[in-house]
Amino acid sequence: MRLRKSLTRCLPAAFVLLVLCGIPAWSQSPTPPAATTQAAPAPAAAGAPSLTAPLAVKDATPPSADDLAKGDPGGVLTGTVNDVAVSDSKKGLTLGDAVNQIGQNKVAINFVWTLIAGFLVMFMQAGFATVETGLCRAKNANHTMMMNFMVYGFGLFAYWVCGFAFQMGGAGALANLGGTAPLTAEYTVNLFGKPFGLFGTHGFFLSQGGTYDVAIMVLFLFQMVFMDTATTIVTGAAAERWKFAAFAISTFFLGAITYPFFANWAWGGGWLSQLGANYGLGHGYCDFAGSGVVHAVGGLTALAVSMIIGPRLGKYNRDGSANAIPGHDMVMVLLGCFILAFGWFGFNPGSTLGASGNGALRIGSIATNTMLAGCTGSFGAILYMWIRYGKPDASMSGNGLLAGLVAITAPSGFVNTMGAVIIGLVAGVLVCLSVEYMDRVAHVDDPVGAISVHGANGLWGVISVGLFADGKSNYGGSWNGVNGPVTGLFYGDPGGQLIAQLVGVATLLGFVFAASFVFNWIVDVIVGQRVSPESELQGLDIPEMGAVGYPEFVLKAYRDQAPMGGIGEAVGAAT
Amino acid sequence: MKITGLLLVIAGGLIPVLGLNFTSSNTARLILSLIGIAVSVVGILGVLNKAFLQHALWKH
Repeated sequence: MRLRKSLTRCLPAAFVLLVLCGIPAWSQSPTPPAATTQAAPAPAAAGAPSLTAPLAVKDATPPSADDLAKGDPGGVLTGTVNDVAVSDSKKGLTLGDAVNQIGQNKVAINFVWTLIAGFLVMFMQAGFATVETGLCRAKNANHTMMMNFMVYGFGLFAYWVCGFAFQMGGAGALANLGGTAPLTAEYTVNLFGKPFGLFGTHGFFLSQGGTYDVAIMVLFLFQMVFMDTATTIVTGAAAERWKFAAFAISTFFLGAITYPFFANWAWGGGWLSQLGANYGLGHGYCDFAGSGVVHAVGGLTALAVSMIIGPRLGKYNRDGSANAIPGHDMVMVLLGCFILAFGWFGFNPGSTLGASGNGALRIGSIATNTMLAGCTGSFGAILYMWIRYGKPDASMSGNGLLAGLVAITAPSGFVNTMGAVIIGLVAGVLVCLSVEYMDRVAHVDDPVGAISVHGANGLWGVISVGLFADGKSNYGGSWNGVNGPVTGLFYGDPGGQLIAQLVGVATLLGFVFAASFVFNWIVDVIVGQRVSPESELQGLDIPEMGAVGYPEFVLKAYRDQAPMGGIGEAVGAAT
Repeated sequence: MKITGLLLVIAGGLIPVLGLNFTSSNTARLILSLIGIAVSVVGILGVLNKAFLQHALWKH
């Protein structure tokens, strides 16, 4: 009897809470988070307590000051009603305060999740640096490390100036981050009677258009480290012969123009993301965490640059046969692969932009898919190499792991574990085939296999969404403005989703490759992309950077060959 | 040769996009997408790359 009485008393309040919490939960990403907290006082719940009336909080039994003074070793006294912020201290805690606190807690969880995921992705730069440097010769260690180091700064600066605005300036409000309302300006043209969003126009210097906003800062940080991942892919493919000045210019262009434009089309509300709404092609181009946006963009740019600057001296004989040029530190390579695999847990699960609300709890599934695809990617590569060459090649095992991770990046949010395992396995074999093709048939020299790992498998990842998306995930109801879950060909979709993915692939080839090629060709004509043959034979550390990566090994030999510059000159003189 | 390759790459990207507006048949759109990708790949690896390889250092 007593229980029924208290239930009856609580029900109206519970109803009000449900209504108030439910409104933001239903609002999907492209729509503004209108009417979030106290918009509707729920007239249906007659007799419910007013939002502004003080709440009787005696049942919450907060700990006394004496209890708190003794400390809280058990962790049961910390975080109580005393910690709920009140808007009017005279009035005390109201229902409105409690509901606002709920909303802020959700956004706070999502902020922290997204920021930590972004920090993990930032740490991937260390992984790329060690993988690429390890796969290069010791005489180029300083130069390769410096490219990986400075790509962070050059890319970040370009992205802050204009890249972020072009990419996300018209993305619309993101409910998980509590708003990002100023990102509403997308430049759109009408073609064939359909709107084609091309680029955003809010957010230049992260201040124009009202973008000095906490949620936008979180979004910027997360998106910036993604862009940086794309730019660092290129340094691997062009290593050991790329002029540092040309690298700096090329990186700036990629961070300012090429990457942001394609990212806008896929993630910023641009035309590829609207293929579903405009042409009925599933949910439009779906790329959960960036197999296409990040990896294929980086991989195809790497292909363009590698073609322009040509192979390293000694890579090919006159008859076209290839010589293996082994890297100098396999330990560094595999350590870097582990760092990258660790960082990928920020890359993919972090792309929910939250851990609370709108289906974000799928982070568990996304993280597991990521882990599995990386595992089967390395299996695929090991098996291929073992069967074909009789040994489980270490560097290709590492590349297989990365290939699996690259391939699962786009579908990670839409597939089940079986799909992830297959996608990773295919990626592991594909990377070996692609490396062999690039090396022996196309004669494109790629010291680290970046074109195959990121380019070929990025495209495979994009396509795999259209095949393996299992129709279970919808992240709150609609993805790219189309209701219902994302479904691939193998799970009953009539093919529209696959076509949207293929249009994305064609766009990556036709726009990203072409833009990167034209720009880098111009740089080649004006600045020159390639170092001199003398510098290349000597190693780029001294001619380009003025100091060697491993002075104890080679300093004397270098000193005899060519004078150092910069700090290297001082060090050389002292030894 | 390089310009031809570049034009092929761009044309390959445009074919599927234009195809979306000329037909509403999924089969036709699928075929056009695949054709577009093939044209771009031929442009990159078959024409552009060959053009660069003609003057490759290792051939001389």
